[in-house]
Amino acid sequence: MSADPAQLLTVDGVTAGYGASEEILKGTSLRVAPGEIVSIIGPNGAGKSTLLKTIAGLVQARKGSIVIGGTDVTTEGALGRARHGIGFVPQERNVFGAMSVADNLEISGFQDPTQVKRRAEELYERYPMLAQKRGALARTLSGGQRQILAMAMGLMNAPSLLLLDEPTAGLSPRAAEELFEAIVALNRGGLPILMVEQHALEALEISTRGYVLVAGRNSREGPGPALATDPEIRRLFLGG
Amino acid sequence: MTLILQAVINGLMTGTLIAVPAIGFSAIFAVLRYPNFAIASYATIGAFAAWWANAILGLPVIPAIAIAFLITGCIGVGAEETALKRLRGNGALIVAIASIALNLVLENIVRFIFGNDMKGYDLPLLRDIRFGDLRIGPQQLQSLALAVVIMAVMFLFLRYTRFGKAMRAVADNPDLARLKGIDPARIAIVTVFLGAGLAGVGGVLIGLDTSIDPLTGYRVLLSVFAAAVLGGLGSIPGAVVGALALGIAEELALIVVPATYRTAVGFVAILIMLTFRPRGILGERAA
Repeated sequence: MSADPAQLLTVDGVTAGYGASEEILKGTSLRVAPGEIVSIIGPNGAGKSTLLKTIAGLVQARKGSIVIGGTDVTTEGALGRARHGIGFVPQERNVFGAMSVADNLEISGFQDPTQVKRRAEELYERYPMLAQKRGALARTLSGGQRQILAMAMGLMNAPSLLLLDEPTAGLSPRAAEELFEAIVALNRGGLPILMVEQHALEALEISTRGYVLVAGRNSREGPGPALATDPEIRRLFLGG
Repeated sequence: MTLILQAVINGLMTGTLIAVPAIGFSAIFAVLRYPNFAIASYATIGAFAAWWANAILGLPVIPAIAIAFLITGCIGVGAEETALKRLRGNGALIVAIASIALNLVLENIVRFIFGNDMKGYDLPLLRDIRFGDLRIGPQQLQSLALAVVIMAVMFLFLRYTRFGKAMRAVADNPDLARLKGIDPARIAIVTVFLGAGLAGVGGVLIGLDTSIDPLTGYRVLLSVFAAAVLGGLGSIPGAVVGALALGIAEELALIVVPATYRTAVGFVAILIMLTFRPRGILGERAA
C-alpha cells in the first residue's frame, strides 16, 4: 500500500515492538480517509493498541511508513505527530489525575493557547458533566466521566484525526453506549476517528470500515457493518 | 515549656529555610525522575553569588538574592545540559551518582575562586526581638518572610501559569504530556532552572542566618533530601511539610541530644519514613 493523497492517514508495512528483539507489528498497513470511523479489531495480543501507539509516535516504527495528510512522519516522535494533528486518547492513564478537569483541558490545548478558552467552553457545552465537574480533580471522576474527559482532552488541540484506544474499557453497558453515541456525534461533526475497541460488534456497526488484525498482520478488512455480520468474523472474534 | 516553644520556633525558622532548596530538589525529581544531589553545590554557588553582589558590589540583600537565583539557575541548566542529560537514558541511579560527582566538581570550583575562608554578608547588627522568654533574630524573621514569599510565588506559578501547569503535567505523565504537544525537554530546562535557582536562594537564606563557605550547601544536603523524602519525593507541597517537620524535629532533638547528633535526626527521619510510609507524607508524583 503506497501513500494515497486522498487518504488522511496511510500506514504502510509497519513493523514495531517494545523490546530490542520483540516484534509485535509485522508489516501492518491501514488507511483512514476524511470523515471515516475506522475500527481495528482482533484477538488479544494482535498488536491493536501497539498500532495506535505507533501511529501516535509513542512506539517507533522500525520498518514501513506512516503518512499523515501527505507528510511522512515515520521518524517523528509523539510531539511531532501531535503537531501534525494526531489526537491520541490512550486506554489507561489518559488524564492528569492530580489536576482539575479545567486544568486538564487547558493543558491539553498547550499548542495553541489563544484558542484554549474558546475550545474549553465549546467542550463544556457539548459535555455538561465536564462543566459541572470543572473544579474536581480528574482522579475523582468515575470511569465513564474520565473517558469523556480524556476524549475532550484529545479534542483540545483541534486534531485532524482522533485515535481512541479501547474507549469503553471498564465502563458499564450504559456508559459504553453513551460513549459510542458521543463518538458518532463527533464523527458527524466531521472528525475522522480510528479506534481499537473491545466491543468489536458495536464498534464495527458504527464504523465506515474495519480492519481485523491477527498476530501483528492484516487478516481482513472491509466495510464495518459487513464485517460485523460476517459469520467467520463473528465466530472468531465475537463469539457469535 | 519555654525551651520547647523556643525549639519549635527555631525549628520553623530552620524548616522554612530548608524548604526553599527542598522545593527545588523535589521539582527536579518530579519532572526528571532522579535525585539531583548537585543541588548542594547550587546552594553554595547561590550563597557566594549573593555574597559577591552584596559584600563586594554593595547591593542590598533582595537584589543580591535575585542575582543568586539567576546565576544558579543558569549554572544548573548548563550543568544539566552538558553533564547529566546524556546520562538520563542509563537510569536514575547513574544520574544520581553523576550528580554527586558534579557536586564535588562545582564545590571545588567555588573553593578555587573564593577560597576556603568563611564569609559573611554585609548586614546591620540588630538585637534579637524578645517575646517574654522567647527570642527571634530580626534577620531570621526577614529570611522567614523571604522564604514564605518565594514559596508563595512558586505555588502561584505552578497553579496558575501555563508553564507551571505544563510542569505538573509532565511530572504526572510525561507520555500523555507529549501527546498534548508539551515538549518535556523544554519543560525539563525550565524546571532545572527553577530548581537550581531555588537551591541557590536557599543557600543565600541559610548564609544570611550564619556565614558561608564552600561547604554551605553540602551541610544542608542531608536535611534537604530528608525533607523531600519525608514529604514525598516529587511532591512540592510535601517538600515544604517535610522541611518544617524536619526542622522542628531537629530542634526538639537538640533539647535531649548534643548538637553533633543533629544530622542523625535526618537519617532517622528517612529511615522511619521509608519503613512505614515509603511514599512520604504527601507522596504523589504530581506537585
